[in-house]
Parts: sequence; structure tokens; C-alpha cells
Amino acid sequence: MNLESFLKSLHKLFMRLKSQPVEFILFFCASFSIVILLLMFLFVVKEGSLAFVRLGVQLIFGQRWETNSDLYGGFPLVYGSLMVVSGALVISVPLGICTSIFIAEVLPFQLRDPVKSIIELLASIPSVIYGFIGATFLAPLIASIFELHSGATALTASLILAIMVLPTIVGVSGETISAVPRDYKEAALALGASKWQIIRNVVLPFSKSGMLASVMLGFGRAIGETVAVLMVAGNVAMVPTPPWNYLAPVYPVTAVIAMQMGEAAVGSLEYSALFGLGSILFIITFVVNTIADVIVRRGPVTRGVQL
Amino acid sequence: MSGQTGERVIFAILGVPMLICMLIFSWILSLLLTGIGSVRWELLTVSALQGGMFEMIVGTIYLLLGATAIAGPVGILAAIYLVEYAPSRGLTRIIDQAINNLAGVPSIVIGLFGYTFFCRHLRLGVSLTAGWLTLALMMLPIIIRGSEEALRMVPASFKEAALALGATRWKAISSTTLPAAAPGVVTSVILGIARVAGETAAILFTSCVLITRGLPRSPLEPVMALSYNLFVKIVALGTPAQKVFGVALVLFMIVTSLSLSAILLRIHYRKGQPWLMIR
Repeated sequence: MNLESFLKSLHKLFMRLKSQPVEFILFFCASFSIVILLLMFLFVVKEGSLAFVRLGVQLIFGQRWETNSDLYGGFPLVYGSLMVVSGALVISVPLGICTSIFIAEVLPFQLRDPVKSIIELLASIPSVIYGFIGATFLAPLIASIFELHSGATALTASLILAIMVLPTIVGVSGETISAVPRDYKEAALALGASKWQIIRNVVLPFSKSGMLASVMLGFGRAIGETVAVLMVAGNVAMVPTPPWNYLAPVYPVTAVIAMQMGEAAVGSLEYSALFGLGSILFIITFVVNTIADVIVRRGPVTRGVQL
Repeated sequence: MSGQTGERVIFAILGVPMLICMLIFSWILSLLLTGIGSVRWELLTVSALQGGMFEMIVGTIYLLLGATAIAGPVGILAAIYLVEYAPSRGLTRIIDQAINNLAGVPSIVIGLFGYTFFCRHLRLGVSLTAGWLTLALMMLPIIIRGSEEALRMVPASFKEAALALGATRWKAISSTTLPAAAPGVVTSVILGIARVAGETAAILFTSCVLITRGLPRSPLEPVMALSYNLFVKIVALGTPAQKVFGVALVLFMIVTSLSLSAILLRIHYRKGQPWLMIR
């Protein structure tokens, strides 16, 4: 759709809204989400602008984050976030996708709703509770298995995060699997295909894009997760040595924002740096969600699927 | 025959991840349930000043009621617009996209926004009102999505019958489509509440305090909330798990019973209204 026709339809819309008060109110409510998103972008970026100007790329690539010496190099934090998120996805993507296939194609029909409901309940558990469980049960377990002083490590955070994004991945890829047209499956069945052959040759090719979208959404959720991660990641603003050491504490971006906002003086460089990190987070999740949306819209059978 | 055995093996392998999911859930449940014995239930009605959690529970309920009062009507009306009115596909797509994006904004970023916009720009301060508005932003996408789905499931013939009898468009929708979709709409609102009931990051800077004297007397005062309390006690104060178990358990039970009732309601009304089974 080009800009001109878009403006034209917008104009037509406004002419209609003028004569229809009910429709006007409804339209106002519907466009609320757009207004909020714009405001969110404007305000968070505005508060971060001081840091963008004064720190520039240092905000992402600077090596040292030390509040006491007014150093705000975000690299250790960004690295911590990426480490924890990739750890979580490595665990949850295979688990989640296999689970969604199993539920949709193999599990007896009567068991589907109960199992789906349990996974939905898993999704609704608040992140403080996950953090609480991680800090009180999982961290000591990790500490005793690997003989560490403290179980608050990147591994612990990855595990908790993996549990938290699992329902997202199962839910979205499950939706796309159930959107595969029945005719196709029945056609394959009529040709004598076995259940596994149907899954491999009909279901998987059709729901591939939806699965990719589910992974992207999982990534978006994981990178933005704050409270649970903060409670189990150990919160040390340093790149672990060696960098792939999952048994070291990390300080993900979201955790830093949550921990330091309370102490940062309004208008200070620290305050602005936290908002700067926040706006980067906002942009990343925005882009990832938009890509997931586009993938789903362009997918062969997933057009009607809601994320 | 060997093909079948091979297939069984594949399905067994596929089934393991699902079992792991179920195990995780039962593990979490069992961890929380083991704490039930040590919780002193009389603390539910004791003031926070005496070590109870009365104000936190009521504070959490205050936050949820206010946020629902804001996000509920806005969300439902937005869904009605998107399903029944939205004229141009282009515009609807952009709104759809915005709703999806809003749903994906990390709660900490919503918290940052709530702080700069509601608390500072609108001068609401750290207050109940700021918390309502911030949480409403998180509920909105869930309510819109769920209500939209519920509205779409109502056959157009309902509305058309009313239109044929001479009803105006709004009258037709509000007297036929909306009542038929009501259970689904209510479910989406409950799911929205469940989503934010345990939310911490969004109210961290916008509306909570660890301890104050009594309940907020006006919407411009800060509140105590279960999730915030649990978070601060563990992270900042390093309180041993035993002492905060009660708070964690109460919060878990509130959230789980909310989402469980939403799920059961959905299953129930899909059975009760046969046209909803056809999608």
C-alpha cells in the first residue's frame, strides 16, 4: 500500500468518524495502542538522549560499567543478556517445538486440552515466583552440583528463563501446527502416508514459518525478562572469564535497569544511561516482534494465526 | 513392521519434552506446596507493620481493580472496532501490528515509560494511579486480542437478524454480538488480570513502597503489593526463603486461581454455545 492511498483512506475514515460518534469513540480506543507505542518510544529515548550524546557507542561497546567512577560501558551487560538468552533458547527451543508437535499430532485427543491448560498455567506464573523458586531451590542445587560458592550464575538464569519462555514457544508453534489445513493431512493419509510421514512432509513444511516466529517471540520475551533473571543471575557487571563460562555470574541489561533506577538521580548520566539501555531494549524487542509478525503473515498457512 | 517400531521410537522421543514440561510444572507445584505447612495463615489479616500481609493483599487488589477499570473498557471497545467497524485493511493492519508490539514490550521498559510519563511528566508521582495506568498498558493487548477472538466467533447472522429488524449498527452489535461474545470477553479480561497480578518490574518505580502506614488514602499515594514485597525482601534485604514463603504462596494462589478460572470458563462456554465450536 503506498502513502497516497493510505492518506486517502485515512481521510475517508475521518469523514466517516465525524458523522458517527459511536464509531469515533471505538476508533479512539483502537488507535490507543499506536499512540502509547509512540509516546513510549519518544519518552524513553528522550530520557536516554543525554547518554546517547555523551557516551555514543560506548553505551553498548564500552568495557566497564562502574557506577562509582561514572563509567557506563554497557558491553558486559549486553553480553550477559545475550549469554543468558541464548542459553535459555538452546534449552527451550527444541523442548518447546517437540512438545508442540507431540501435543498437536500424537497426544490422544482427550488429553490435549488438559495438557495445554497446564502449559498455559505455567505461562501465567509471575516472574517473581520464578525468581523466588530459582533463588531458593535452583541456585543452591547448581551450587552443590558444580561446587560453587554461589549458585547465582548465567546457567541458573538460563534455566529459569528457559522454563519461562517454553509456554510462549509451545503456544505459538502449536497454533500454527493446528492451522495446517486438514485436507492436506487427509490427502497424505489417503496416499498411505504414516503418521510420522505426515508430520515430516506435511505438517513441518507448513508450520516452519510459525515455528520460526515462535522462536523470535521467545527471544523477545527472554531478552526483556527482568525480575526472575535479576534474582538468579548473580549481578556482577563483568564478562565472565573465559567468555563461555556459564558458571559465572552475569548482570543482564534488564537487571541493571531494575536495580539501579532507584538510586540514579533524575537527569544524571547514570539515569540517562539506564534509559538509553531501556530504549535499545525497546527497539530490539520491537524489531524482533515485527519480524515475527511479518513471518507469520507471509507464512503459507499461518495468515490467520494470532500471536 | 520395522517402520512402525521406528515411528514409535520417534514419537517416544517427541513425547519426552512434553513430559519434561509436565515435570517442571509438578516440581514447581510441589516446591510451593511443601511450604504450605510453614505458612502462618493468620498473617493474611494482620497489618504489615506487625509482620502480616494484609495491606499487600489489599494493595494488590486495588492495583488490579484500577487497572482493569481502565484497560477493560478501552480494550473491549477497541476489539469491537477492529472486528465490526474497521474499514480499511491497511489501517487495521497497522493497529494490529501496534497491539502485537505493545504486547511484546518488556515490562521493565513499560515501567521506565510509566515512571517518566505518568510519574514525572503527568506529575502523578509514585502513586496508585501511576500503577493503574502502567498495568493497564500491559493488560490492554491481552484484552483486545481475547475479545477480538470472542467477537469473531459469533456468527454474523446474529447481527444481521437485528439489522434486518431495523436496528442501528451499534444497537445490533450491543444487543446481539456482544452478549453472545460476553463469556469470551470476560475470559480475556480475567487473563489480563492474571497476567499483571504478579507483575513486578512495571510497578517497581511507578507505584510501590515496601512499607507504609496502612492502606493508601487517596489514589495519589503509593501502595504495598505482594509481588513488590517478595522481590525487595529477597533481592535487597536477603530475607531467608522461609520468611517470605507465605507471600510467594499467596501470590501464586491468586494468579493461578485467576488463570485457572479463565481456562475453565473458556472450556465451559465453548461447550455451552454450539456455534462457537465451528471455527
